[in-house]
Amino acid sequence: MKPLDPRLLAHARDARGHVLVTAAAGVATAGLVVAQALLLAAILAPAITHDRPLAEARGLLGWLAGVIVVRMLVVGLQERYAHRAATRVVADLRGQVVDAALARGPRWLAGGDGPAVATLATRGLDDLEPYFVRYLPQLLLAATLTPATLAVVWWHEWVSGAIILATIPLVPIFMWLVGVMTQGVSERRLTSMQRLGAQTLDLLAGLPTLRALGREHGPAARVRALGDAHRRATMGTLRIAFLSGMVLELLTTLCVALVAVTIGMRLVHGNLDLQTGLAVLVLAPEVFLPLRQVGLHFHASTDGLAAAEAAFDVIEHPDATPRPRGTVTLPAADAAPRVEVRLDGLSVVAEGRGRTAPADLTLVARPGEVTALVGPNGSGKSTAVLALLGLVAPDAGGVSVVVDGAEHDLADVDLTSWHALVTWVPQRATLAPATVLAAVRGVRTTTGAPTATELDAARATGLDGVVTTLPGGWDSPVGQGGTGLSLGQRQRVHLTRALVTARPVVVLDEPTAHLDALSEEQVLAAVEALRAQGRTVLVVAHRASLVAAADAVVEVTARDDAPAAVAGRADA
Amino acid sequence: MTAPAPRRDPLRRVLPLLEVSPARALAAVGLGSLALGSALALAAVSAWLIARASQMPPVLSLSVATVGVRAFGIGRGLFRYLERLASHEVALRGVASLRTNLYRVLAAGRLDAVAGLRRGDLLARTGQDADTVGDVVVRALVPAGVAVVLSLGAVITVGAFLPSAALVLTLCLLVAGVVSPWLTARATRASEAATVDARARVTDAALTLLEDSALLQVTGALDDERARLRAADREMSAARDRTAAPLAVAAAIADVAVGVALLGALVLGIPAVGAGMLAPVELAVVALVPLAAFEATSLLPAAAVQLHRSRAAAGRIAALLDACDPDGSVSAHVLATPPTADAPTHATVPDAPRVAAAGIACAWPGRAPVVEGLDLDITPGRVVALVGPSGIGKTTALLTLGGLLEPAAGTVTSPAGSSIVTAEDAHIFATSVLENLRVARGTVTEAEAAETLRLLGLGTWLDALPDGLGTLLGPGGATVSGGERRRLLLARAVLADAPILLVDEPAEHVEPGAADALVAEVLPRLAAAGRGIVVATHRLTPLDAVDEVVVLALPPAVPGASSATSDGLRPAARVVARGSHAFLLEHLPAYRTAWDLERAEAR
Repeated sequence: MKPLDPRLLAHARDARGHVLVTAAAGVATAGLVVAQALLLAAILAPAITHDRPLAEARGLLGWLAGVIVVRMLVVGLQERYAHRAATRVVADLRGQVVDAALARGPRWLAGGDGPAVATLATRGLDDLEPYFVRYLPQLLLAATLTPATLAVVWWHEWVSGAIILATIPLVPIFMWLVGVMTQGVSERRLTSMQRLGAQTLDLLAGLPTLRALGREHGPAARVRALGDAHRRATMGTLRIAFLSGMVLELLTTLCVALVAVTIGMRLVHGNLDLQTGLAVLVLAPEVFLPLRQVGLHFHASTDGLAAAEAAFDVIEHPDATPRPRGTVTLPAADAAPRVEVRLDGLSVVAEGRGRTAPADLTLVARPGEVTALVGPNGSGKSTAVLALLGLVAPDAGGVSVVVDGAEHDLADVDLTSWHALVTWVPQRATLAPATVLAAVRGVRTTTGAPTATELDAARATGLDGVVTTLPGGWDSPVGQGGTGLSLGQRQRVHLTRALVTARPVVVLDEPTAHLDALSEEQVLAAVEALRAQGRTVLVVAHRASLVAAADAVVEVTARDDAPAAVAGRADA
Repeated sequence: MTAPAPRRDPLRRVLPLLEVSPARALAAVGLGSLALGSALALAAVSAWLIARASQMPPVLSLSVATVGVRAFGIGRGLFRYLERLASHEVALRGVASLRTNLYRVLAAGRLDAVAGLRRGDLLARTGQDADTVGDVVVRALVPAGVAVVLSLGAVITVGAFLPSAALVLTLCLLVAGVVSPWLTARATRASEAATVDARARVTDAALTLLEDSALLQVTGALDDERARLRAADREMSAARDRTAAPLAVAAAIADVAVGVALLGALVLGIPAVGAGMLAPVELAVVALVPLAAFEATSLLPAAAVQLHRSRAAAGRIAALLDACDPDGSVSAHVLATPPTADAPTHATVPDAPRVAAAGIACAWPGRAPVVEGLDLDITPGRVVALVGPSGIGKTTALLTLGGLLEPAAGTVTSPAGSSIVTAEDAHIFATSVLENLRVARGTVTEAEAAETLRLLGLGTWLDALPDGLGTLLGPGGATVSGGERRRLLLARAVLADAPILLVDEPAEHVEPGAADALVAEVLPRLAAAGRGIVVATHRLTPLDAVDEVVVLALPPAVPGASSATSDGLRPAARVVARGSHAFLLEHLPAYRTAWDLERAEAR
């Protein structure tokens, strides 16, 4: 892993400015450190050798005070503004990751990589902040301060310079050697350490169960024993892991000690004056300081770069480009009260599973009718719904809508205008943060009391019963951060929304899957009401009661593709 | 509830549970002081060496100093290594003790507090939070101890030559080691407080976008939500920015303190040389020691932040302790006895086991009852079903019957050892099948285990396992389906000695057929074998097989009025009907309708 990923600069504009400013601050710091050392030596040496009074050093002391003040300002300003670039870069990358993930479509998000992207977008990217604020400045200091001080030392006293120059490459070599020698051991120990840690936590997580069984007292000794084993394993790992730190400290401090002894010997023999000696003595540790700091913040670097890498994997993926938008704008809902939906041989290939689901799905959903999609799990019912909504592109066949007597292929339609005609109650119904009433009205914020129509709809779906159990009634916050509603209760909210918003097409995905039998009737009544309003109702149905209520039942089937199969039409 | 008294520092409450050995902690501080002391001595001795050498004395007179410089050069790395090991050892021992003690307090504390714990919370408290409390040793206490020792050492060294310079050094060390860390911790707290809301909004918006993208797109809210994410992120940056100034001040004054100490040494030292109070060679020591003295204090701002973080984690752990052990007596007992001294639990079976509830109200502590007026009498051989829709309070009722929750009203009569509760979310341990069953009773033999699994219809499953009873379960082990999990948990309950089983039947994640089979086939078999059973369920189909069905429902709403009670909570559920399955089918129309619907599904 490179210490500074060039893609970070390419993707995050704010990072470039930050790197430039930090580099400038590094150069300034280098200059100030050198100036302070030289001034100190120039003040101290005459006082020691010639017993010069303070008055003669007044000018130099003034300069030294100036250097100290400027150093304080550089440190303070860096601390004041370093996080700005970091927070901007994190926000920027977060937006890009979310956009890229959205472009991959709902099916990818619901798949195996979805949770990882969510973690990355919420917490993972925050690891970049210590990288920018702590690690990067030290890295740039290592690139400026170390050579600058080394050059000054060399120019003053080349023997000490040579000692330091010879030591610097030893640092990475020894650290690499330690790493190579200990890698296998620490990986093995790390595994056992993680296993022991997991076992301890497993035992603790089972405590309520043990208590219910009245068996809680025995395992305390086991928790202790596992904890001790975990400690021993961890210490074994640390004994090795800290070796590289020790090598770093040992080499750098020993080098400074050698420089001091060398200077002392040259002074004794009169080969050097005290001022030079003091300057070199003060500067020698400064050569190594940035290297030590880089080592100290090494973890910040690996975590931050790993987060950046994960972000770039999402952002730069070829599938992460948004699909082109259609150009046909459909009329608004009040101008188009009756809409027919047609699926013609719709097939969608499930990526990586060698399966087409749905395969060759053909149906016509008419206004004032309930069309039920049935089929076993995995046959592609929900995917068919996503295709119908234009969120998944068909691999074969197509989706078209008939509005105002004109048929449009959905691929040509501006999806925003199509979505304005549809109410969709998804299988995993979630709610955006809002009040119950706002959620029913399909808006973010709303005021007032529910209207008679809304109350009727709530009664029909059983939402009124849910609302009475909520502390704030219709004004209770729901969705993330609000009151927890069960899946069935959330579906009632969506179902009520479907009843009160006058959209010509209503798509219900398994509306009864999460309700118990006593409330299923209410869903059936709601579907009945939607049909009576002349809407085009499409339901994905598992339960017989819902299937029985439908005007048309369409069986959705999947097809296992032979490796060489071509997506085409088979006999229905 | 009494008003909470001003709480003492949660870290002080939790730290004793770490049982940190003072000798080990002092050893870590001692080694750390030796490490940074070596650096300080290196600076002092090399300053002396160079200043003395410039006077061109005989080389031999410098030999002690040259050896010293080299030795201190080695000492720093070596002692630092030993100190890191020692302080991590202290921290790891502390965390292991903390986990053990937490476990024991939870095991001996109030039952209802433990029964109400969520798995995620329990894991967070005993996992991450315990580690964070342990970090206080490595990252705050030991560095602070080292800083104190080292600062004293530096002040004494300088003071031996020039007391006035030592005074300046002391003041500067206090600024860098006390004022700056204090400011840093305060600014960090302010920054975290200022960003916590914005951070929650960022997380919320990002998760909403990623999890509900399809729904947002169809409802046309996608761009709004994107804008909300950007706005929340901007707000977070702005909040961060507002609190950055004090952090900058803290860093700047720590930096300037070093410079002031240096200037002070020069300004006071040079005239002292002229006045003959200070030897010229000593001036070099007085001037150069301050540069090394601040290395220890430079770690303290981070230590102060760590102290704040550990305190927050300790606060969460203390809240858990407060719930389980309000008066601290359990913690005191736990600390006074080693874990092995705990008496092993003996589940003695009473002569006349029964669970009899008379007019009980069931509630979580501090909350309104969810079920009221429940009468129930279970003796071995009887199977009773508690039915009602999800969320009505069946689980709460079972926990109350099992004695894990105190009844809010009425009485539960049940000789100790009569019953056990099998919770729907009971834990499957990451160990073998056999050990998971032995959780109920340590003496379970392999034959017993296999027999019970077969009795519960897990014979085929057992035969298919790669290592039979030795197969590992849980993460990294064999996966268990929802139905198998239920039966395994029930097998565990059956193997325990208690004659009456309180079974929370699966609501989710189990296909209806499997759930029905459990109730219809397995439970009567257990009853025939002398067990009494209460099963909570919302499936009506298999209830033909039970002796009595108790139907729970919310009281009918008064038309035109809100059925919510004045405190905004839902009313408690009551028993609306009870009797045999056949009786209820005949006399309770809603029951009949629900049963018909279920049967229609099955077709």
